[in-house]
Amino acid sequence: MSSSTSDGAADHPDAVVLSGITKRFPGVVANSDVNLTVRRGEVHAVCGENGAGKSTLMKILYGMQQPDEGSIEVDGGPVRFRNPQEAIRAGIGMVHQHFMLADNLTVRENVLLGAEKLFGIGSAARKRLAELAERTGLRAGPDTLTERLGVADRQRVEIVKVLYRGARIVILDEPTAVLVPQEVDELFDTVRTMRDQGYTFIFISHKLDEVRALADTVTVLRGGTTVGTVDPQVVSSRQLAEMMVGSELPSPDTRESTVTTHELLRVRELRLDADDGSDRALLDQINMTVHAGEVLGIAGIEGNGQTELVETLMGIRKASGGTIELEDAEGRVRDLTHASTRRRREAGIGYIPEDRTRYGLLLSQPLWANRMLGYQSRPPVAKGQLIDRGAARSSTEEIVAGYDIRTPNIEVAAASLSGGNQQKFIVGRELSCDPVLLVAAHPTRGVDVGAQAMIWEQIRQARHRGLAVLLISADLDELIGLSDTIRVMLRGRLVSEADPARVTPTELGEAMTGVSEIHQAEVPDEGVQG
Amino acid sequence: MRRKRGAVASRLAAISFAGVLALTGCAKDSGGDNGAEGGGGGQPCQLAEKPPAAQGGAAEEKEDNEKVDASKLKVGLAYDVGGRGDASFNDAAAAGVDKAETDMGAPNAKETTATATESEDAKRSRLRQMAADGHNPVIAVGFAYAESVKQVAPQFPETKFAIIDEQVEAPNVTSLVFAEEQGSFLAGVAAAYKSKTCHVGFIGGVDTPLIQKFEAGFVQGAKAAAPDIKIESDYLTPAGDISGFNDPSKANVKAKGQLDKGADVLYHASGASGKGVFEAAKAGGAQAIGVDSDQYNDKTLKGVRNVIMTSMIKRVDVAVYDFIRAVAKNDVSTLPERFDLSEDGVGYSTSGGKVDDITDVLDGYKQQIVDGKIKVSDKP
Amino acid sequence: MRARLLPPALAIVFATLLCSVALLISGANPLDAMSTMGAQMFRGTTAVDTINSATVYYLAGLAVAVGFQMNLFNIGVEGQYRFAAVVAAIVGGAIELPPVLHALVIILVAAFAGAAYATIPAILKVARGVHEVISTIMLNAIAGGIVAFLINPEQFGVLSGNSVSTEPISESGWIPGVPFGNAGTVFGFVVIAALLGFGYWVLLNRTRFGFDLKACGESPTAAIAGGIDAKKMAFVALVVSGAVAGLVALPEILGRDHVYGINSTTGYGFTGIAVALLGRNHPAGIAFGAVLWAWLDKSAVSLDNIGIPQEITTIMQGTIVLSVVVAYEVVRRAEMAAEQRRVGRALADEPAGVREGGAV
Repeated sequence: MSSSTSDGAADHPDAVVLSGITKRFPGVVANSDVNLTVRRGEVHAVCGENGAGKSTLMKILYGMQQPDEGSIEVDGGPVRFRNPQEAIRAGIGMVHQHFMLADNLTVRENVLLGAEKLFGIGSAARKRLAELAERTGLRAGPDTLTERLGVADRQRVEIVKVLYRGARIVILDEPTAVLVPQEVDELFDTVRTMRDQGYTFIFISHKLDEVRALADTVTVLRGGTTVGTVDPQVVSSRQLAEMMVGSELPSPDTRESTVTTHELLRVRELRLDADDGSDRALLDQINMTVHAGEVLGIAGIEGNGQTELVETLMGIRKASGGTIELEDAEGRVRDLTHASTRRRREAGIGYIPEDRTRYGLLLSQPLWANRMLGYQSRPPVAKGQLIDRGAARSSTEEIVAGYDIRTPNIEVAAASLSGGNQQKFIVGRELSCDPVLLVAAHPTRGVDVGAQAMIWEQIRQARHRGLAVLLISADLDELIGLSDTIRVMLRGRLVSEADPARVTPTELGEAMTGVSEIHQAEVPDEGVQG
Repeated sequence: MRRKRGAVASRLAAISFAGVLALTGCAKDSGGDNGAEGGGGGQPCQLAEKPPAAQGGAAEEKEDNEKVDASKLKVGLAYDVGGRGDASFNDAAAAGVDKAETDMGAPNAKETTATATESEDAKRSRLRQMAADGHNPVIAVGFAYAESVKQVAPQFPETKFAIIDEQVEAPNVTSLVFAEEQGSFLAGVAAAYKSKTCHVGFIGGVDTPLIQKFEAGFVQGAKAAAPDIKIESDYLTPAGDISGFNDPSKANVKAKGQLDKGADVLYHASGASGKGVFEAAKAGGAQAIGVDSDQYNDKTLKGVRNVIMTSMIKRVDVAVYDFIRAVAKNDVSTLPERFDLSEDGVGYSTSGGKVDDITDVLDGYKQQIVDGKIKVSDKP
Repeated sequence: MRARLLPPALAIVFATLLCSVALLISGANPLDAMSTMGAQMFRGTTAVDTINSATVYYLAGLAVAVGFQMNLFNIGVEGQYRFAAVVAAIVGGAIELPPVLHALVIILVAAFAGAAYATIPAILKVARGVHEVISTIMLNAIAGGIVAFLINPEQFGVLSGNSVSTEPISESGWIPGVPFGNAGTVFGFVVIAALLGFGYWVLLNRTRFGFDLKACGESPTAAIAGGIDAKKMAFVALVVSGAVAGLVALPEILGRDHVYGINSTTGYGFTGIAVALLGRNHPAGIAFGAVLWAWLDKSAVSLDNIGIPQEITTIMQGTIVLSVVVAYEVVRRAEMAAEQRRVGRALADEPAGVREGGAV
């Protein structure tokens, strides 16, 4: 198991060979007969919509799960990993999409933690760390606290971490999801340089342009099995996408505008102080208006206050200053600044939380009980203080049918559904209760392309009926495609505004990092554009 | 204000000074001429005048040599929490039964034991099952059975019941109660005479009227012997929580606390918890007084017997034995209404010889109580 | 259903086996023990005693279960019921009212006192974030002191022989039982306990409050996002738990003892925890757990009577609780996995729909 990276086997041309991998996994999509050959020194992209089996496959390669059938070869020799430690010893490292760093430790401590045996914690370790930092383009000093690092640097720390442990084969799991375009480019440069130094990369992504830009070889998974392995230079993004989806690719374009001059949500000078007692503001001087039929998109790098904005609007956090007003379905303007979450919901705010399993669902409860969550105080679910289970069940049936939620029945626990179906269920629940305003945080994060198209379409239709939508997303294509107006959030403030019809992802990215303002819009602050 | 604080400070200093003296007194194992003024410091008590010596033997030995055959009796015994082996109250009852077995040929008694958290109906079931199985007499050890006996006895009019430590009025129930305060009075006297710091302590198991009788007698006796004596008094658990009779570690801590305050003779009435008191006394170089049975001779206390200078004996064994004997003779009316000093139902033990030098004093007080010259109160 | 009944069955079998081994080691015959335990059920007063104790345990179990529903560990049922019992017994002994009304007042006073005593940890939890386990454990100890203080003859107690108790409640405040001749009398309170169990079921499954409670227990974050005030729910859950706890001693006080005294049994609150665990917080499950627990308790007396160590029942109770908890978790996981497989299979059967279902 402890094949080091420099022994004879390293001459073998294939770094990793997975053959006939089958994993019967309690879930919607399992791996069935997956074959993947990764050559030494290449960047090999593994593509597929969410739920196609990419993560399962990588977990198997990384020793987090064991395949039911099939074999794994690393550097030409068969291996069987029982846990990630064994994979690491074989020279495989994984950079997870969600970073596994301790914020309160320094870069050096994070890298060394758990790997003290390799180079000790003294000067040898320092030397090795400096060398790897150089190689990966990590500019932050080894004694910087991780919490002070930006997302791109954190990611580099993660890469250094796996290299430090001796990895020659690095799995990058959706590494660009959290990066702005400029950072993506830098990351790709780093990966290319390291590839030339002999490292092998397995690059998990569903962003086809990136795959085409970086990968030497692409393997596409669909429905848990390999569709094919192609050279990205000879296939188009569209062809790749069709391999992934097996049908035509959806697009988020909003087509015609439905924006009215009817103001539904008015936020003035909203402020949220940090609860650590410092006078740092998490949100400051937030002014915005969302009109009936308008989708207001909020762009921004994660951690710039989007989550706080959503939670303050929903009443989960209490605003420190400013006002929030909403016109409810009867046309009354309500001041919701100090209202409870329930009152806000009753006033007509629908909410698609960014983390559906933690904020949107009661995982062990059946679907019809989840139907009630957030609506338990209103008809049809509520009858006075009592709950009308029949009505809850029948309206759940309607949602399941109307939003194409694939489930055998409505008695199954929410946890049994796939991510995409869970999300469709949440969208269906929130939209079927005729909200005035929909607060949608990353509504298609982590769902497959089919569900994504469906969710976009539903939001578009609701907007057509006069729904106001506040859309927070890290997916710039989604933002540009769905929004009528885009505001950029940076360090807790709304810093600039863009017209999605004209802005490019690169321009947005620059505005998100604060490099530049977007100068195209002479639009007045609260203006309505056609 | 300032003046007042000064006064308090100096008083504190005086107290801690006295405490230091007390400690040195202990350490040297000799109190006395340390120069601390007044009683209650680190020196033996100013003793009250001794009572006149007792005339002749204590109480008349009522020898009853009549041979009694109890071989037909199926004795049922329901112990309180702790059961046989608690080195105290329940064991005393066990001794009485054992003696009945050897002397009168009573067959092996059926013995059952209560658990700490059982409910009232469990006690009733226990008595009922024994009576239903044909046990006669059925002896309930401990006042916790009072209500149960009251309820169950009428259902078995042919069965003779006895209850220890509680008065239950029913034709087929015999109440075996004791004058614990009288025995405890003598324990108080002994403690006062033996204390080198004129400071003694009482540790009760559970703060109930029954245990308060022990405290009352002990305090009265100690004060009678030495009016200036300081007495610590602690209960392990409040009424309602009977775990105090079965919690040696808690008793150990309480005892240690009393020793730290300066007491050097501790009297316990805490059932199986008493072991903790003895251990504390051993560790602290102090002495202790046992309860219920002659704890000096108790096998389970062998390691700490050296600190047991005497025990307040409550002759539960005698009461149980006499009761079985009376039942065998089919005449329970001869039993005394109350087992007190005059009946030798309570008393003190001399095993170990540590109170041999003051037996005259103790017997003197005893005589006065028997004669009614001293009335011992059963309320603290 | 299988998932509900299988774990306790497994646990009981496992506990029986383990106890048999323990009995063999201690030199007793397990078959004797088991047959005695079985036979005594139908002998004399055991059945009645079992039902009576089960009534008490059931109330305690319900009280604990209310808290469990939202992951609150109300260890304080013990203190709450004892406090409520002594207060209710004092009030009941001091007042004179017509029958029914008298008992009703006592019940309300007990519920109110229990709730009041539970308000302390509830406030501490909501306002200061003090964990309810810590605060209720401490309040249990304090309750012991309060009870001892209140039934002291210098306060509200009366001395009878060596025992101290509250003033007896006059007959108008009693709840008559159902006599079964020589076998004894079943507490009338059993009806109230059953009604309470039904009320608990309605509350949990048919009311908004119950939904909010379960949602908070399942996922505080999702509950908050769903508009539930989690702090308020925690407060209310603890207070309701305390109110139910307040009734725990009433079957005995109103049906048998008519006083609360130093000999009154302690520890029902802790039994309630075990019973609630056994019953998985389900009203019927708790009833089953309460009866099982009571029966084992009564067995102890019989076992002692035939010379088998009665501690064996304690071992059995402990093993049952432990193995039930483990078994439920195992079965729950297996069921979840099976359900996910079922969902997956159901979807695999209609692959066409997958592709076409993109947009409506």
